[in-house]
Amino acid sequence: MHFFLLYIDPGSGSYILQMIIAAVLGVGFFFKNFWLTIKSYFTGKKPKDEADKDSAG
Amino acid sequence: MQPLPASFRDSAGFVFQQDGMIYRYIQPAYEVHYTHFLHSGLYEELVKKGKIVAHREIVEKDTFGFTQGRLLLPEQIPFISYPYEWSFDMWKDAALLTLQLAVASLQKGMMLKDATPFNIQFYKGKPVFIDTLSFENYTEGKPWVAYHQFSESFLAPLLLMHYCHPDTNKLFTVYPNGIPMDVLISLLPKRSKWNLNTLLHVHLQAKISGKQKQRTTAENNFSKQKMEVLLKGLESYVQKLSRKKVKTTWDDYYTGTILGNEYLGAKTALVASFIKTIDHQTVIDLGANDGHFSLLFGADKVVIAADADSNCINDLYIKIKREGRSNILPLVNNLTTPSPAIGWNNRERESITGRLKADLVLALALVHHLAIANNVPLPLIADWLEQMGNYLIIEFVPKNDEKVKLLLQNRKDIFDDYSLEHFKLIFSDRYQFLKEEKVGKTDRVLFLMKRK
Repeated sequence: MHFFLLYIDPGSGSYILQMIIAAVLGVGFFFKNFWLTIKSYFTGKKPKDEADKDSAG
Repeated sequence: MQPLPASFRDSAGFVFQQDGMIYRYIQPAYEVHYTHFLHSGLYEELVKKGKIVAHREIVEKDTFGFTQGRLLLPEQIPFISYPYEWSFDMWKDAALLTLQLAVASLQKGMMLKDATPFNIQFYKGKPVFIDTLSFENYTEGKPWVAYHQFSESFLAPLLLMHYCHPDTNKLFTVYPNGIPMDVLISLLPKRSKWNLNTLLHVHLQAKISGKQKQRTTAENNFSKQKMEVLLKGLESYVQKLSRKKVKTTWDDYYTGTILGNEYLGAKTALVASFIKTIDHQTVIDLGANDGHFSLLFGADKVVIAADADSNCINDLYIKIKREGRSNILPLVNNLTTPSPAIGWNNRERESITGRLKADLVLALALVHHLAIANNVPLPLIADWLEQMGNYLIIEFVPKNDEKVKLLLQNRKDIFDDYSLEHFKLIFSDRYQFLKEEKVGKTDRVLFLMKRK
C-alpha cells in the first residue's frame, strides 16, 4: 500500500532537518507560551487562540 | 479514459475530461484514505470553510466503464491559472491555505502528502485546494513527506519576492517543480541568514540536502506535537513575509499627466455604455492596470484582469479581497512574453494564450504599447485579439498623443502604418464595428467591435 504514499521525493536530509527545526522552534514556542501565561496572569486577559486565525479565507 | 496532460504524477488516481466536464477517478488502492477523508468529517469541514473544492460522487456503476474505484465530479473551475501568474499576496494566501489544510488534516488523523501550488486555484476571489487525493492517513512518528516540496515550491518563490524583487517569482516558470535550494540561496542576500526561520528552512536545508542519508531515526520519531510546531512555525513565518517594495512604470498611470480625471471619466462612461449593449458572461481585461475597468462589471460576470505589472495586480487582489469582488481574477501576465506551455512534453501546463478565451476582450490604452513599444504589426495584433473573444472594446491611441510621443522620443519612427485609417482598415477585415467614439477631448478613439 505504501507504493503511492511516497510518490514525491521527500528530499534527502529533510526528515532530520524537520527534527532540528521542530526542536529549535519548540523551545521558542515554550517560552512564548510561558510568557503569555505570565502576562495574562497579571493583565487578566486570556492569550489569543492562534488556531482561530484564518488568514487565507 | 485519457488522463489530462498534467495528471500523471500521483498513482492514486487521475483527472480526465468528458463532455466538457472535469472528473476525478480514484484508484481502489487509495480508497482507504479517501473514505477516512470523508468519514472523519475533514472533507465536510474544509468544504464548509471554502478551503477545498466540493465534489459529487458518481455512484452509478460502470460510468465511463469504471467497474471499481471511485468517480468524482468536482465543482468546475472556469479558469485555470498557474502560480507564475500570481502576485505576491496570492502566493502568500496559497501557501497559508496549504499549511492550514495540513494543520486541519492532522487534527483529523490525516496529512497532506504533497504541497505544490498547482494544487491550488483562485476561485470566487480566494484560493481553493483542488486535489482531493492529496490527503493521506497520518502515520504517527513520520515527518512531513512534503516539507521539502513546500520549501521549494512555496517558500522559495515567496522569499525571492520578499528579499529580492516582486518579479523574481518568474523563476518558477523555469522550475515549476520547485526552485532548488542551492539556486535560491545564491540569489538571497547575505542578511537573510539573520532571520532564524530563513536560516533554518533555507540555508540549513540547502546545506543538509544531498548530504544526509534519508533513513534515520527521524523517520519514526517525529511526534504529532513536533509536526504541529513545524506547521505553526511555517505559518507564522509565511504570515510575516511581505513583498519587496519597488516603484514601477505603471504605478499611478491614471493619476499622472494628461490622463487625469476628465479623460478617465469619459472613457469609463463610454465603456459602461458599450457593455450594456452586448451579451457577455466572461471578460478578459488586457493591460488591466489597477483594475478600474474590470471593476465596472457586475458580480455575475467572470472577469480576468491581466497585467504585466505585479504591483498593480497585487493591489487589485488585495482590493477585491477586501471588497468581496470575487468575480474578478487578477493575473500577472506580460502580453509580449506570455506564459508558455511547460512541463512534460510541453503539455503539462497549457500556455496562457490557449487558456485566455472569453465573450468580451478589453484592450484599453494597449495597442500603442504592442505596436510601437514592442514593434508588433497591427495585423498580428488583430489576429491575436480575434481568437480570444467574440466582442472587443479597443482604444486607438494616435501618434500625436502624449504617451505615444513619449514612446517615440528616443527612437526612429518606423511606424508609417500606425494611423487611425490603417487601424480601421486592418480591424474591419476581421470585425464589424458596432460603436466608434472619441474619448473626451483627446484624439483617442474607442471602438466596440464584433467578430465577423
